[in-house]
Amino acid sequence: MPSFSELGELTGIRSKGAVSKFINKLIQNNILGKDEKGKLIPKSIAAAARVLGTVEAGFPSPAEEELADTMSLDDFLIQNPQSTFLLKVSGDSMSGAGILPGDMVIVDKGQSPKSGDIVIAEVDGEWTMKYLRKRGSDVALIPANPKYKPIKPKKELKIAGVVTAVVRKYK
Amino acid sequence: MSSQPITISSWPRAILHLDADAFFASCEQAMHPELRGKPVITGRERGIVAAASYEAKARGVKRGMRLSEVKKVCPDAVLLPSDYETYSLFSLRMFEIIRRFSPDVEEYSIDEAFVDLTGLRRSFHGSYGIIAEKMQKSVEKELGITVSVGVSLSKVLAKIGSKHNKPNGLTLIPGRDIHLYLDKLPVEKVWGIGPNTTAFLGKFGITTALQFARKDEAFIRKYLSKPYQEIWHELNGRSAYPVVTEAKQTYQSISKTKTFTPPSNDATFVFAQLSKNLENACIKARRYKLSAARIIVFLRRQDFKDSGVEIKLSSPTAYPANLFSALREGFNSIYNSRELYRQTGVVLAGLVSEENIQHSLFDDIVKIEKLEKIYKAVDSLSERFGKHTIQHASSMPAKLQAQHEGDRGDSPQRKENLFKGEDRRQRLGLPVLNIKV
Repeated sequence: MPSFSELGELTGIRSKGAVSKFINKLIQNNILGKDEKGKLIPKSIAAAARVLGTVEAGFPSPAEEELADTMSLDDFLIQNPQSTFLLKVSGDSMSGAGILPGDMVIVDKGQSPKSGDIVIAEVDGEWTMKYLRKRGSDVALIPANPKYKPIKPKKELKIAGVVTAVVRKYK
Repeated sequence: MSSQPITISSWPRAILHLDADAFFASCEQAMHPELRGKPVITGRERGIVAAASYEAKARGVKRGMRLSEVKKVCPDAVLLPSDYETYSLFSLRMFEIIRRFSPDVEEYSIDEAFVDLTGLRRSFHGSYGIIAEKMQKSVEKELGITVSVGVSLSKVLAKIGSKHNKPNGLTLIPGRDIHLYLDKLPVEKVWGIGPNTTAFLGKFGITTALQFARKDEAFIRKYLSKPYQEIWHELNGRSAYPVVTEAKQTYQSISKTKTFTPPSNDATFVFAQLSKNLENACIKARRYKLSAARIIVFLRRQDFKDSGVEIKLSSPTAYPANLFSALREGFNSIYNSRELYRQTGVVLAGLVSEENIQHSLFDDIVKIEKLEKIYKAVDSLSERFGKHTIQHASSMPAKLQAQHEGDRGDSPQRKENLFKGEDRRQRLGLPVLNIKV
């Protein structure tokens, strides 16, 4: 939001007192508001506009109007494009979760791992993919395959990212 | 005198310089966590060090060093082939993260950015230091690489800041502190001042950046040309170089080079490398809708001596078919079968917009239109199936070399380790973590 002096310049009002009155009127009309720190924030300056799609020449395609809200498979699978990586799975410790050797998993380094998430973790120097289970300060890595035992980190636990999706192509 | 500040204005402008630490090597360590803490080198397919991790640098490995020397200085160094696809993905992502903080971002190089932060303290409700630290931490968290940051009143000062403390450093140089950072800095370490200017200034007894900055304006205008005057202003906290946000719209020249090992004197093979350089340069020219009026062909020998030749074309073009005779002519004039060559290159110069070409009476319009159709088809096939789906036959031996490099482990792992549905030419645009789980 512009400062009081910048608003003064924009509106042509010289005195800060007058700008202040102007702002209070805007706040009364719910066009501006104040956040917890008392700083100005816009409220209904921006009116929602319906996305109609681009018109090149002639009539817009009615089909296009409906498709303006759709997302691509990329958008669907990737929430944070800058921090998303791929990983090829080689082991079967998460087969019970539907992640098989050879599958591609989508790993987000930008998300904070929560209990119940499948994570890529480095435990005491070894890398693994498991469910993260946090109960207070108690942390464990749980497999999805009876062949494997839960892991309790002895020295250190570093989480490289959260597995957000698995992709398996058949053809 | 030395203790007097350069300016009392702390932050009339705030310009940030971000420089990734050992970028290529750091990308490799991010993708291969088992390489963290180890001396890692990239550039194996070239036979020289392109980038060295800080662990390798600590052991004395320097950029440009031959691999044979590296093996002596640091025998346990991990030598990796360059994976430009992955480095480019990291670079794009790094810039996108930086753009969350300010719209005024200049992509200075693949791993360096200038950012104008002036006025943003209000938006972030924090100091420039806080903003810089948030930026640095975001890059590290989301990409797994570290960057060094400098914030000051001008680009030159910001660069001094980022270099001051590497790796993973954060240096703020407000107006009142400039003199402290320039005091011990040798003048040749200032961005834009090279060995000739350093020697020249040395004749006046100017050896440190502070001495240079403190010279009066009359001296600067009398003895130095405009670029150095601008650097002088920048060192004094007066920004002469704004942060330029526009992406490259056009080029003055386009060059494509390739280094190969081992060096070769096989004429067919070396010409094939040139042919591939030419095709790549033309692909780029066509992408920017440019045509070349001149072509430069050069070869670099095993002992790093270069020989090159420039050929003027009868009419501007971006079609390899029109350029092969010039390429052949150029090659024949510089190639010597008794020499071993390590690098070839082609430069397309005198670039003009393809729309501005006036064809003369002597041009074969039918042939030109035919070529236009052919290359349009080639370009759309490349878009669909990957670059070099269709190649000129003369480039074939270079393709076989690429395969050979792959076989001997000189092609990046990303190209070898594919997901179902990818092939050697086209892959998903996401970096792949090399962790065995």
